[in-house]
Amino acid sequence: MEKCQFCGKPATVHMTQVVNNKTTVVRMCNECAAKHGLFDKEGLPFAMLSNLGEALFFGMKQNLPANGLICSKCGCTPMSFKETGRLGCPNCYKDLKLLIDGIIESSQKGMVHKGKYSRERATATQMNAVNSFTDTSARKHSNKLSMEEKLNELQEMLDAAIKAEQYEEAAKLRDEIKTLKGL
Amino acid sequence: MNDFREKLFQDSKLTKETIPVVVSSRIRLARNLADFKFVKYACKGDLHAVAERCEKILSSCPLLMNGMTLNICDLLDYEKLALVERHLCSQEFIIETNESKLFFTDDHLTSIMINEEDHLRMQVFRYDLNFRTMFDKINAIDDHVSENLNIAFDNRYGFLTACPTNVGTGMRASVMLHLPALVITKQISNLILAVQKLGFVVRGLFGEGSDAQGNFFQISNQQTLGLAEVDILSRLTQIIKSIVDYELNAREIVKKEKIIWLYDNIGRALGILRGCYCLTSIDAINCISLMLLATDLGYLPNILRGDLNQMMMKIQSSHIQVLENRILNSTERDIKRAELLREFFATVPNLKFD
Repeated sequence: MEKCQFCGKPATVHMTQVVNNKTTVVRMCNECAAKHGLFDKEGLPFAMLSNLGEALFFGMKQNLPANGLICSKCGCTPMSFKETGRLGCPNCYKDLKLLIDGIIESSQKGMVHKGKYSRERATATQMNAVNSFTDTSARKHSNKLSMEEKLNELQEMLDAAIKAEQYEEAAKLRDEIKTLKGL
Repeated sequence: MNDFREKLFQDSKLTKETIPVVVSSRIRLARNLADFKFVKYACKGDLHAVAERCEKILSSCPLLMNGMTLNICDLLDYEKLALVERHLCSQEFIIETNESKLFFTDDHLTSIMINEEDHLRMQVFRYDLNFRTMFDKINAIDDHVSENLNIAFDNRYGFLTACPTNVGTGMRASVMLHLPALVITKQISNLILAVQKLGFVVRGLFGEGSDAQGNFFQISNQQTLGLAEVDILSRLTQIIKSIVDYELNAREIVKKEKIIWLYDNIGRALGILRGCYCLTSIDAINCISLMLLATDLGYLPNILRGDLNQMMMKIQSSHIQVLENRILNSTERDIKRAELLREFFATVPNLKFD
């Protein structure tokens, strides 16, 4: 069996990279592969990994300070999530945010909910928009976007701007969010 | 339990209104109660309380009047598996049955799992493709649930679920397709790759982890966050419509280029179904798959399609054991299966090739 080029353990990840017609092969164990952040959105190696938790875990951006996290309500940690592939309670989404955002980024379409709102929190406009099932474009471009939706959208844009290192744009968005929240 | 058997074997009238290629479609919503831990981490007492609350609210929903609730732990193993074969619940649901309950309506078109991976998994089912009607139905049930229960919801993440792959809408929509011609013409693997690239998943007959027996493929959305329900459903509908077109085109090609092969395979399959005395479920499903194709191509009367779909259910291993009311070993099942098939296909008219 091939050995990991970094630590000498049995290699389980074999990556072939072609850059400008030059082919390089890198062999690694799972840990070293994760450490080197070789798993991007498209290359998430689901088939290679034995369970969902592990697969999702691997899809995360590397070096997140997620290891010290623990949910204050149920005690769920990144390690227990890795083992079971399941979170412990609704509060995990707050206390393990760093872990969860990494997973969501690698497996979901976006970072912010765009669908139906839970009934008790929904405004009439939102419910109608969802219930009618028609004309989603009208909903998207509606000027009557609720405050919540607007804030979510701005937050999403802010996240994107930070990620793209467009700090000027991010600052503008941050101020806009502040003003909206202050109203 | 007699009541359960009767309800399980009730033939749905709706299966008569079937269409070629699309076998069935389904929308499922995952919801959790805000005040409890998710199922995998909850204690028995919590799960009991969750089940009690959910059951109470569901029983007051006007859309769920005619149906029954089963305590999964009261059922025998083959009875549990028969529920999976009916697509009323998932395979995972029957493994850990602690405080798990299943509600399903008399027409089998709506079912709700309590304490699966999430506290509530509600699904609607149809024997054709009409997500609009289905979404309206499941949405109304969901409204009733969220009006009466404190559902875990976050403005940013949407509906909170035990696994982050379901968070947001908590919605999984899937369509079961019958694609024999794409398999025969070897286009299927390219199609699967293309569908996966669009963010959708392809699975076999019984969902996660199952093989594509009898040329049946299930296609469902992978992403649940960052897209509205309507957008997911309309994208999936579009994809399904183009796959249906590909399949119909491939059937024309098969008819043009491999007609003798086609007649031969269909003819032999009918021969097996009429003459078998011991038949495995995989062989049976593959033969029935060819009968479905024969029906779509007009070699058998159109009206048969619904009956064939029903037969496919009835010859599954656990259904046979529920019917016989006892555990059967695999040979006994194969013999009983052959008997059911012989009986049914004796009444089927002869093939009329063009």
